[in-house]
Amino acid sequence: MIDCDVHVQIGDREDFLAFVDPAQREWFRLQEPLLGLPGYTWQHPTGFMRADLDAGDGGLPGTSAELVRRELLDPYGVDLALLTADDGISVSLMASPYRAAELARAHNDWMAARWLDADPRFRGTIIVPAQDPLAAAAEIHRAATDPRFAAVLLCGGSERPYGEPRYLPLFEAAAEHDLPVAIHSGAEGLGISSTSGGTGLPAFYLEWHTLGSACSIMAHLVSLVCHGTFERVPGLRVLLLEGGLAWLPGILWRLDTNWRGLKAEAPWLERRPSEVIREHIAFTTQPLEHTDGHDDLLFEMLAAAGAPEILCFASDYPHWDFDDPARMLQRLPEHWRETVMGATAERLFGPRLGAGAV
Amino acid sequence: MTAARRWHDVGSEGELRTEGRLVARIDGREVGVLLDERGAAHAFRNRCPHHGAPLCEGVLRPRLAGTPGSYRLEGGAVLHCPWHGWQFELGSGRCPEDARMRVAVYEARVKDGRVLVRA
Repeated sequence: MIDCDVHVQIGDREDFLAFVDPAQREWFRLQEPLLGLPGYTWQHPTGFMRADLDAGDGGLPGTSAELVRRELLDPYGVDLALLTADDGISVSLMASPYRAAELARAHNDWMAARWLDADPRFRGTIIVPAQDPLAAAAEIHRAATDPRFAAVLLCGGSERPYGEPRYLPLFEAAAEHDLPVAIHSGAEGLGISSTSGGTGLPAFYLEWHTLGSACSIMAHLVSLVCHGTFERVPGLRVLLLEGGLAWLPGILWRLDTNWRGLKAEAPWLERRPSEVIREHIAFTTQPLEHTDGHDDLLFEMLAAAGAPEILCFASDYPHWDFDDPARMLQRLPEHWRETVMGATAERLFGPRLGAGAV
Repeated sequence: MTAARRWHDVGSEGELRTEGRLVARIDGREVGVLLDERGAAHAFRNRCPHHGAPLCEGVLRPRLAGTPGSYRLEGGAVLHCPWHGWQFELGSGRCPEDARMRVAVYEARVKDGRVLVRA
């Protein structure tokens, strides 16, 4: 089983700061609430983390390899876990591209030393200062020399949708190293990012968790296709994380329909968008919508969008809306299980999944 | 058995040039004639196969192609349906974006000041 969204936390801030250039260390040490990263406007009413998990030395679950081993990998039989930055993902929304570049570099080195060295089942993601795409590409070239990094990680919150040509250097760098680009929902409307959906920052976490996270993923999906990103970078593969799934068939139908009528605007799109998406993009399952007894309908709709070959399992450990792998296995149609729980990820990530494995 | 096609007089050249299009009924079917930028006449069934719109109320525009971020004229024009913008090729009636969609096309010509359609 491959879990494509396991969030690792910076528990010991001083330990993390040891990876930061001494010339910038004091600046980062002084930033509140955490390292100059934009903080959320609202808090989950009972906490963003599962309350049943062991809060490590830093007071947060998921702060050490031992905790992740004990609470996720061993009990659920996870063969490989894609480690996704938690707070660090919003590095691309910092106002200073220079601080962002240094924080991303330090985070990637910290992930290699504190996580990838600690368990052969871990695979890393490279965070980048996307606000400076040339610097982001340089960081990808640097970090990708470690074969245990299996993807580049971008934040759902962004200044502009990721199909914009300004972002091409980072997508080209990822493809050059055969790294998929994972775009994880989060931080929409924070820091230097635009609000998701164009209506302004929501008042409640409830609103954001329903719409904000999904809308940014929809926007990046459509933008990447419309700008011809996959025509420009044919080897590029993308994984969209934690944006929900039930909307997917509707967006694909809308996009295909609008492509037929509005293709003169983007005449480079020779192929139907949904075909391009099936070829280049996959989606994580968590949080798979609760359907109040309509799972058959959900799976039928997802099949119309290309499931199960476009789906990768993700638990979202240690967050509150964790999807239990065992329950997911029971819930999925039997003939989807092998594909969703591993085969799609193997195809998406390619040889780097095997790097460093026992 | 399909009836053999024959030429029908659907209107005057003057009206076609003034209005840019003509619509006539031939054997119970509405057929429209449009002029392309070179002045050649093209006839289509006046019903979009997508949603039933009066297709010949649409516009002829050059077909565009390109690579991401750049545009070029591909050569040739397409008819854009007035309702949802689907495009249809002049010669074949085919919708390039959807192989299932094709509008009937007819031979058309202007002769002695009259517009003729073979249907």
